[in-house]
Amino acid sequence: MMLVQHASSEVNRVPDDGWVADLTAPGLRGHAAQRNLHDLLIRAARHQVWRLRYQLPGAGSGDLEDLAQQAADDALVAVLGKLDSFEGRSRFSTWVYKFGLLHAGVAVRREAWRHREVTLSDTFDVVDATASPDDVSEINDLSRAVRRAIASDLTPHQRRVALALLVEEVPIDVLAERLNSNRNALYKTLHDARVRLRASLRASGYIDDPSERSAS
Amino acid sequence: MINNPQHLPAAAIDHLLRDTRPYLSCDACFDRLDTYAEQMVSNPQHEDTAMQVHLLACSACAEEAEALIELISGAGTHGW
Repeated sequence: MMLVQHASSEVNRVPDDGWVADLTAPGLRGHAAQRNLHDLLIRAARHQVWRLRYQLPGAGSGDLEDLAQQAADDALVAVLGKLDSFEGRSRFSTWVYKFGLLHAGVAVRREAWRHREVTLSDTFDVVDATASPDDVSEINDLSRAVRRAIASDLTPHQRRVALALLVEEVPIDVLAERLNSNRNALYKTLHDARVRLRASLRASGYIDDPSERSAS
Repeated sequence: MINNPQHLPAAAIDHLLRDTRPYLSCDACFDRLDTYAEQMVSNPQHEDTAMQVHLLACSACAEEAEALIELISGAGTHGW
């Protein structure tokens, strides 16, 4: 199986269902297919590590390569475990790439935060570092209303998650790891918190969104 | 602390008040990411409201979507 770098004109071609047969074949055929699969994953992982390298300012090229290789190895296991979920709705290579990108992104963020403490507070004490002294001293009505809503309308868990993700800017994968949770659960918590905040701010007249009045 | 009249960064307020309906989980976003990326490459005007709302609200998923679109559109791979 030959690896190709596809251009936009190739995106709509017939899905490559030969991959699954090759990867599940015994012997040399299966091993060769797995090597080709790993090549695809390395390509994706290197691409994502390169894009996100600004998060790792002290990392050299060897460190970045190690990170990409490890991410590709992890992604290989994930892809092989999910082969039966490939339905041919996209090209196989596109489907594979997303696993490489996912594992590489998680690896970079995890490494970037490895020595950083994550403060899980349900209160906050944040000043905009980019604001001028005049901005800081200015009492912002909306800001105060949001703070009140955070304090009164969110559960402690929603407050901790929302403040960590959106105010402290902790990456969602990192927070999930520290909380022994997962990205899906934290995003749902954040979604529910946003619904509550919007309802509170709408009730106090700070935002107006007619579409939400009947929404659950 | 929370009652102190301190300034919340505008970006944080924007993120906190973002309307993330229709709800789409990160897992569902990942499931659809490959087909979404191919559709976006074929037609940059392609609309998928649930995906696009999610990608505006979840920076980790958005990074994956941007990178996948780059990869399959031939925007380049990187080595070192």
